[in-house]
Amino acid sequence: MGKKENIRNFCIIAHIDHGKSTLADRLMESTGQVSERDMEAQLLDSMDIERERGITIKLAPVRMYYKASDGKEYEFNLIDTPGHVDFTYEVSRSLAACEGAILIVDATQGVEAQTLANVYLALENNLEILPVINKIDLPSARPEEAKKEIEEVIGLDASYAPLVSAKEGINIGEVLEDVVKYFPAPQGDENAPLKALIFDSYYDNYKGVILFVRIKDGSVKSGDRIKTFRSDKEYEVVEVGAFNPALVPKDILSAGEVGYIAASIKSIQDVAVGDTVINPSRPAAQPLPGYKKVQSVVFCGIYPLDGSKFNDLKDALLKLQLNDASLLFEADSSVALGFGFRCGFLGLLHMEIIQERLEREFGLEIITTAPSVSYKVIKTDGEEVYVDNPSHLPPVSEIEHIEEPIVKADIYSPPDYLGQIMDLCREKRGTFLQMTYLDKSRVRLEYNLPLNEIIFDFFDSIKSRTRGYASFDYELIGYEKSKLVKMDILLNGEVCDALSMIVHEDSAYPRGRMLCENLKEAIPRQLFEIPVQAAIGGKIIARETVKAMRKDVLAKCYGGDITRKKKLLEKQKEGKKRMRQIGSVEVPSEVFMQILKTNKD
Amino acid sequence: MAGIYVHIPFCKSKCRYCDFASFPDKIHLAESYMACVYREMSMRKEDLKDYEFDTLYIGGGTPSVVDESYIAMLVTAAKKYFNVKKGAEITIEINPGTISAGKVEMYEKCGINRYSVGLQTAINSQLREIGRIHTLNEFVTCAKLLKGKNFSVDVMIGLKDQTADDVIKTIEVASAFGASHISMYALSPEDGTPIYTDYLNGELPDGDEVAEMYEAGVKKLEELGFFRYEVSNFAKKGKESRHNLNYWRRGEYIGFGVAASSCINNIRFTNTFDLDEYFKCILSGHLAVKSREEIDGEGQEEEFIFLALRTAAGIDLEEYKKRFNCDFTEKYSSAIAKTSKYTELSDKRFYIKPEYLFVQNSVIVEFMR
Repeated sequence: MGKKENIRNFCIIAHIDHGKSTLADRLMESTGQVSERDMEAQLLDSMDIERERGITIKLAPVRMYYKASDGKEYEFNLIDTPGHVDFTYEVSRSLAACEGAILIVDATQGVEAQTLANVYLALENNLEILPVINKIDLPSARPEEAKKEIEEVIGLDASYAPLVSAKEGINIGEVLEDVVKYFPAPQGDENAPLKALIFDSYYDNYKGVILFVRIKDGSVKSGDRIKTFRSDKEYEVVEVGAFNPALVPKDILSAGEVGYIAASIKSIQDVAVGDTVINPSRPAAQPLPGYKKVQSVVFCGIYPLDGSKFNDLKDALLKLQLNDASLLFEADSSVALGFGFRCGFLGLLHMEIIQERLEREFGLEIITTAPSVSYKVIKTDGEEVYVDNPSHLPPVSEIEHIEEPIVKADIYSPPDYLGQIMDLCREKRGTFLQMTYLDKSRVRLEYNLPLNEIIFDFFDSIKSRTRGYASFDYELIGYEKSKLVKMDILLNGEVCDALSMIVHEDSAYPRGRMLCENLKEAIPRQLFEIPVQAAIGGKIIARETVKAMRKDVLAKCYGGDITRKKKLLEKQKEGKKRMRQIGSVEVPSEVFMQILKTNKD
Repeated sequence: MAGIYVHIPFCKSKCRYCDFASFPDKIHLAESYMACVYREMSMRKEDLKDYEFDTLYIGGGTPSVVDESYIAMLVTAAKKYFNVKKGAEITIEINPGTISAGKVEMYEKCGINRYSVGLQTAINSQLREIGRIHTLNEFVTCAKLLKGKNFSVDVMIGLKDQTADDVIKTIEVASAFGASHISMYALSPEDGTPIYTDYLNGELPDGDEVAEMYEAGVKKLEELGFFRYEVSNFAKKGKESRHNLNYWRRGEYIGFGVAASSCINNIRFTNTFDLDEYFKCILSGHLAVKSREEIDGEGQEEEFIFLALRTAAGIDLEEYKKRFNCDFTEKYSSAIAKTSKYTELSDKRFYIKPEYLFVQNSVIVEFMR
């Protein structure tokens, strides 16, 4: 055991709901990794949010041992992958630790958009792909059509694809055999200096930071000194081991293996996911390629609802950052919201997930401000500053001009939806670059787009306009001068800094109007009339009015009503506690985020 | 102060907005029910022997639907088992469609000295709409029977198709026929009642429209000499409902009958809403209490505040100090400051300004924990 020829490192990629977690559970069960009795449904999706939304966000590796029909025992390391495009980064992390990928295709639905995006990622990472047709137990299953689609749309030979039902446990054995047969054993030299890719990490209260690694070369055991390529700090390894999926200590991890390292690493900041672990006494000369550096695309403010919980929020963000290197944050403050953090995310879904995790896993009540991007401001004195928080924009008189981040977007789609995609890109101030037919079923459209046009609803729009078939990737290519203005929102005559935003001059009026309308709906009526205004500089460009409340009473209150009446008042009080006082106006905390989500396409 | 409440859970038919305990199809059980109520009273007799009661209120349901002799026996029983003060206020709720000269005569004889008449609206189409069994005409007949007596009229606002003018007309009718007291309260569509469907379908007036009806009603009532002593209650001088004032002053009260609530010695308890269960309990010699909650010091304070703030007089600062042994203005200084636009503070009282009584919840919650 531990011989490279007998190791298979692989992941599973699939469209949401095509049965990825179920198949993973079934593989574990078939290899005796978990007894059926102990099995909680869908073992790998361990976070509450993942279970509820039926999606996988975090990578959860697991090791299995399988005795194949050739009589040899194999070590399988399965690394689960997230399904959403925001988490492409996480997907690429897990792919970098594997040699093969099982591609699940739902026999009732065929190839879906998300499948495509992840298959291309896997191909980019030189992974061997094994197609598996799932849900063949369903009456509407069309396995032959699904196979045909795989061949036509993706261009993979699907003739050998196992037909399975993960739910019913049909044909799981064939998948296990194929893993041995089709996936290559890992390469690497166990006698070379240690090189291990950190593909994830988390903080354990007893063991400190736990590194999830794929050993590319060399080996590591407890007692070894290690350091990472990018940091000078050295640590002594306390424990190494594998996942079952709980941590199981082992004597040694060598080239080809997937496992964990615990080295009493105290600080979350010292070990970056994507970095390479080396042995300082025999350091490898070059780090592993790692991943594309994470780039925050969307920024927003996160504030504790209760101002005294600032430190709790800070601790929670630090802990989340440990196993989500893509989360960036720094302390910030707002007149309206007090002390909090300016955070950077990979995208809107990523932002929502972080918010939910803060609320659920850490029990924090938070307020989130509208998402923004980072602008480059050239001041009249020639100084350049980057501003991702509209309320930190210098006074107009000091601004020479503002530049906004531009991305080059590659949109892949079946040709049927080209018209819709081009319309959308036009609406979003896009510049058409070129269009390439990759094959008869796939076109690549290239556009330059302002980033601030795509952070709100571009992804959703493109998905809805192409029935989910288009996939979309982008990279920042730089900044361009643009007619940008800061729009303020005034509540009852006072500027609410947490609602300020930077917009393109041409869209300021419609945005302002829409924002005022949305706010009018979102702000509950109070005992006085509240003007809601949008302004650029000192000029009001839109106005709505939240009328004064006229009825707020339980008309009847006699002997039998008192208890109920008190409960109603208590409920009302609870609602009030969830509000933020902005000047004289009480604003529900959701407002800061909600107003932009209702942005109609 | 302390009061007695008796619940009569029978009606000719259920109004469309009604979510009280009333059983139109069980009216044949009235005799047994009344017997149970007398028995329930006797069971409480010992516990309440040190109490003096200032009021007795017979509500429902429709108390006037049962035989008047039962009512007479009920009043007699209450006086027999409890120390009901001389000159106590004794009220019965009556439906204009179920009243007769004979009934009124019997009520008078047994000592009832106040009537609460469920008119609701003077517009016949609206009466039909909400499922009332009577017409405007029957109200007129009823009011004539009560001529010269102390009676209150219930007026509802917020009904389907109702206008402020309809409310004014209803108030004028009630006043013209001699009401000394008017309760004007907004329809509250409760889940499970037929009218809730109207609410879901958006057929009922919205909050602003109800507020308009309320404001028009208040104006008319004040013109006619009724002063507002609680958000929904208006009386000629000296004709306030003492029984209801006791609720808002957080006084003690004991309730008898199905679904009746009590508050004795800072314990709130409510009888079962299930008629069969009520019978079973009482007939087997047990009380029929279904829920019970002891109110702690903070809770008492909170109740005292929100109940008092319903009334025009508001919180009596001296009374507050006496009950809770602390100074209201000191303890709640920040809430008082925060609500100062909507409230008034004198050296004797703290109250919500009349023009803000109908949005009182927003003010009251500032005083809650």
